[in-house]
Amino acid sequence: MSWRAIDRKTVTDEQLGPALSEAVLDKIRSFFPRYPSRQAVMLPALHIAQEALGYLSLRAMHQVAELLEVPPAAVLDAVSFYTHFWTRPRGRKVIVLCRSLTCELMGGREVQDAIQRRLGIGEHETTPDGEWSFMTEECLAACEHAPCMLINEKLHRRVTADDLDRILADPENDRLSTPRSDLYDAPQPCTSEFGGIVV
Amino acid sequence: MAFEPVLMKHVGRPGSTSLAAYRADGGYQGAARALRMTPDDLVELVKKANLRGRGGAGFPAGLKWSFLPPDRKVTYLCVNADESEPPTFSNRVLIEHDPHMLLEGILIAGYATRATTAYIYIRGEFAEQFHILQRALDEAYAAGYFGRNILGSGYDLECLIHRGAGAYICGEETGLIESLEGKRGWPRIKPPYPAVQGLFGQPTVVNNVETLACLPHILTRGLDWWLSIGTADSKGPKMYCISGPVNRPGCYEAPLGLSCRELIYGPDFGGGMRDGLKVKAVFPGGLSMGVLRGDLFPKAPPGVIDPKADYDELDCRLDFEDPRNYGLLGLGTAAAVVIPQTVDLRDVLVSVARFFAVESCGQCTQCREGTHWVYQIAQRIRAGAGRLIDLDIIEELTASMGMISGLSICGLPDGAAWALRTLVRKFRREFEERIAHQEPEAPLRRARGTNLAAYQLPVSHGRARAYPGGTFYLVEADHSNE
Amino acid sequence: MPRIIVDGRQIECRPDIPVLQAALEAGLNVPHYCYHPGLSVVASCRLCLMEVKVRDPRTGAMVWSPKLVPSCQTRVADGLEVRFDSPAVRANQKQVMEYYLLNHPLDCPICDKAGECYLQDYAEQFGPASSRMIEDKLKNPKKDVGPRTLLYQDRCVLCTRCVRFAAEIAGTGELAVVNRGSRCEIDVFPGRPLDNPLQGNVVDLCPVGALLDKDFLFKQRVWLLRSARSVSPVDSSGQTIWIDYNEHGVHRIRPRFNQRVNRWWISDEARFGWKYIYRADRLNRPLVRQGARLEPRPWEELPEILRSVLHQAAGQDGGAALAAVLSPMMSCEEAWLLARFVRQLAPGAALVTGHLPVVGQDQTFPGGFVIKAEKCPNRRGVETIIRHFGQPHLSFSEFLTRAAEDRYRAAYVVGGYPDEWVSDGVAAALAKVQFLVVHDLFPSRLEATAAVQIPGAAWAEREGSFMNCDGLLQPFERAVPPPEGVKADGQFFWELAGNRGLFQAAQVRAQMADHMPKFAEVFTPRELPRYAH
Repeated sequence: MSWRAIDRKTVTDEQLGPALSEAVLDKIRSFFPRYPSRQAVMLPALHIAQEALGYLSLRAMHQVAELLEVPPAAVLDAVSFYTHFWTRPRGRKVIVLCRSLTCELMGGREVQDAIQRRLGIGEHETTPDGEWSFMTEECLAACEHAPCMLINEKLHRRVTADDLDRILADPENDRLSTPRSDLYDAPQPCTSEFGGIVV
Repeated sequence: MAFEPVLMKHVGRPGSTSLAAYRADGGYQGAARALRMTPDDLVELVKKANLRGRGGAGFPAGLKWSFLPPDRKVTYLCVNADESEPPTFSNRVLIEHDPHMLLEGILIAGYATRATTAYIYIRGEFAEQFHILQRALDEAYAAGYFGRNILGSGYDLECLIHRGAGAYICGEETGLIESLEGKRGWPRIKPPYPAVQGLFGQPTVVNNVETLACLPHILTRGLDWWLSIGTADSKGPKMYCISGPVNRPGCYEAPLGLSCRELIYGPDFGGGMRDGLKVKAVFPGGLSMGVLRGDLFPKAPPGVIDPKADYDELDCRLDFEDPRNYGLLGLGTAAAVVIPQTVDLRDVLVSVARFFAVESCGQCTQCREGTHWVYQIAQRIRAGAGRLIDLDIIEELTASMGMISGLSICGLPDGAAWALRTLVRKFRREFEERIAHQEPEAPLRRARGTNLAAYQLPVSHGRARAYPGGTFYLVEADHSNE
Repeated sequence: MPRIIVDGRQIECRPDIPVLQAALEAGLNVPHYCYHPGLSVVASCRLCLMEVKVRDPRTGAMVWSPKLVPSCQTRVADGLEVRFDSPAVRANQKQVMEYYLLNHPLDCPICDKAGECYLQDYAEQFGPASSRMIEDKLKNPKKDVGPRTLLYQDRCVLCTRCVRFAAEIAGTGELAVVNRGSRCEIDVFPGRPLDNPLQGNVVDLCPVGALLDKDFLFKQRVWLLRSARSVSPVDSSGQTIWIDYNEHGVHRIRPRFNQRVNRWWISDEARFGWKYIYRADRLNRPLVRQGARLEPRPWEELPEILRSVLHQAAGQDGGAALAAVLSPMMSCEEAWLLARFVRQLAPGAALVTGHLPVVGQDQTFPGGFVIKAEKCPNRRGVETIIRHFGQPHLSFSEFLTRAAEDRYRAAYVVGGYPDEWVSDGVAAALAKVQFLVVHDLFPSRLEATAAVQIPGAAWAEREGSFMNCDGLLQPFERAVPPPEGVKADGQFFWELAGNRGLFQAAQVRAQMADHMPKFAEVFTPRELPRYAH
């Protein structure tokens, strides 16, 4: 045959990736009383899992499916629908730059070029040292401070290419100074190594 | 008479997010008053106030509440904090600076609809705002404003925050409900309407953040005060957003009926254009409503409103009625982005088309294929390979996508249709000029592309582009046949 | 029965069905993809939109609503007036077909679905005549989603029928939609392939050639196939099927709608369990023992040989030493003919219900579909006939016990099972029978002691009727002729009984009905509307 079909029948252990720890699963279980159905815990579970692992491995999706008593395909369905979830390992800090109309009008493209030049990565890619990932997203709802971007949880406003150094070095990228709720934080990150970052 | 902000009165004050500060300024008095009324009387009050939804659709909130079946046992109140319409940010400002106003509104609405649980669906990108809101909610619970027997009224209400994960379509009513249920956010077919069969199959009401934030004020200041603000059909204050190259981009509160010109040029609002530029176009109600021509165009003769003629349309009053006279779908989110005379409208077309193509959920054929096709056409026009017939194609496609509602399950293609169609129609001359200045052979060369197959339909092997989401089976583009 | 008006024509329809279903049942060709009467309604394809007459709130008159409404979503109501033949509806159909064709690959020359493809049909009937798309098409990969199914994703129109089937009818939910917008695809979780006992139905459900049956892939063009109405012999539920065949043989099996038994679906067992009829070791000549060996004999000599031997074995005692084992794989007509022949010859001959292959338990699926544990089609029919002829009748195990005690001088044993059925016990017991006639599909250990070996025909090569586990009598047609040298069982039994001419199942059934009124009630399932799919 001259065509190649992607094999979905088998998956190797390596492709499955790291698993979620019991503590993370307990955290997900703590969300069950909030909803009348298990499936509704899907988004919180995926947020928690991604916080713990850095991304959503196939094995993690499988564990979530078992916990929520849904077919694994339903978890894959939800994961692939939302832009927030990564299915490949990503950097410790994710830059989400807004690409909608206002930010584009106010110079978003220059910021994008500057970031991509500076870090040497394209959209949805990760630096080799596993520190930075970059992606663009539609309107972040901070248009009065256009161009704006998120680094992890921190919203950076009125970003310019000149100011990039200060912005990238901002300590709030690692942890927000705003007092935070720990509702979605995974109690401890997964200890399994996911090796080199796939670029 | 100067208008005193009510929705934004705490914005900018340090410590405004704390319960203590909110209560010190008379907070939760509206809720206390509401809890002394009966739920039905409360619904009647909101109906009389004609509080229209501030999320984009403008559906009267009281009417929506009255659709709930009287014999229901379980009711859900969903708070739509999934603000994703470019360039809207009024909900974010409210949550960031005054979360308790929203929470009080939730309490009042919950009581009116006899809700058993309220879910606040906040978009995933609002990470900092989520933390602020959750802490405010914790404070409110501790003070007895949520939970059991609220303020001794016997009413119980659980309020839970549910974080989204980056999908514009989850701001649609039934898309939000599907997302809350843990599935992909594909809007449901209606009927059955959410008021009858919504979240988890139970009667559900979905309300926008700003709509709910209005409720405490209707109760504390009274119906007469509310009805005295705004125009004949559009009552109450509105948070207007203005962004783009204006001197004072931001969120400002004014009674409904503010004119677009005032929003851009008013010293209390946009403060005029930077560098003395003129306005070429403005999207006054978010992208989905359509575009108005700016003051780059000559003023219309007095009393003339003709969207087909090339007149300055900035006198449009931003309430629920007037935008329709200018060929817009409606007021939308009352968030304006200003496009100055220096901007090439082809870039704007690409940006608008890309937004709808990326955010389309993929259920309905017209939206899924149509938005993508228009995006491809817009990209080609920007790359200098457009044709005049492409403009006609865009107009025709938008007509089949959503000029009449009901062609698709939800309103996204309607928004796409109005945005693209008004842009292409009102600025047709500019697009035609740009196309006239292209290289004459460019479109043909582009169409013939890399594949010289007889049917001249270029097919690129592998993926067209890597979309956000990082699918793990991303296949490398195979150019070996080109 | 509500009455609605469609395109000016008054139609009486079943209550509580969508307008689309009513229109299809009235013979209208309304294009649709995502709607299926056996699945939930999603109204996502937007092809079936229609105009409805509503009351104008201002004037009170009935006018055509400017808003188009999906006909799969609207239930019939008495007096509802709709139309499909209007400029707005036709324009919508044409535009939506254009949208479908935008990113669809030009695979017709190599696509299995060509000839029965609803994209082809609707594009021709409702779509635009030419394409005005000059952009790059989106290309999606091919996926191997299951041991028996392939997914050619770029042909998919995202009707989500397969996803809903896997979730609602099969209950396993292996298929899901992934990604968003124009990037939407159908996929399975890697490592969890589409592998449930009903999965073959998604290939039928798919209106285009996206989901493909690996078994039928590239084998035959559908317009070169003819279809025979048949009943599946794989289990006792009596799933009605279409056998698609031509001069080269059987190519595939599809479900035939049956409102009482299997509705629109068949199990994978029924769909793929026919290859045994092409096994190389099928018996293809009548053989009669001459000393130590079995020698071939022409068919014409068999009735004489059999009659004389069985008459002799019947002897003086009315045939107590004679037995006929009627397999539950036989049709009712064949069982009747054989039983009557044997009893006429020897009123005391034992009539035995043959071996009942049972595998596991009945499996019930969420949609209501049941895969029966009893893997033979006609136990009920055979038992009814045996009971009609009265005592002595035995179960197979009773018969084996007696045969092992040397009680039988002659026995006529009919097999016809697709799998090996002669166990040690069966072989040992039947070895004791002096004159053993074996009428079977494949060689077995009985060959060692059989006196006569008659080749049988498979169900697809015969006509007759099966009675399912609930007593429903369903006729089946012949699809392909038996292999060279084999005579259809019914034809042989007809001649054995001394009749001339062709065996015709309906004629024999009419005879049976004179004696057993039950066999007058033949059940033919309702035909699907012409344009339903």
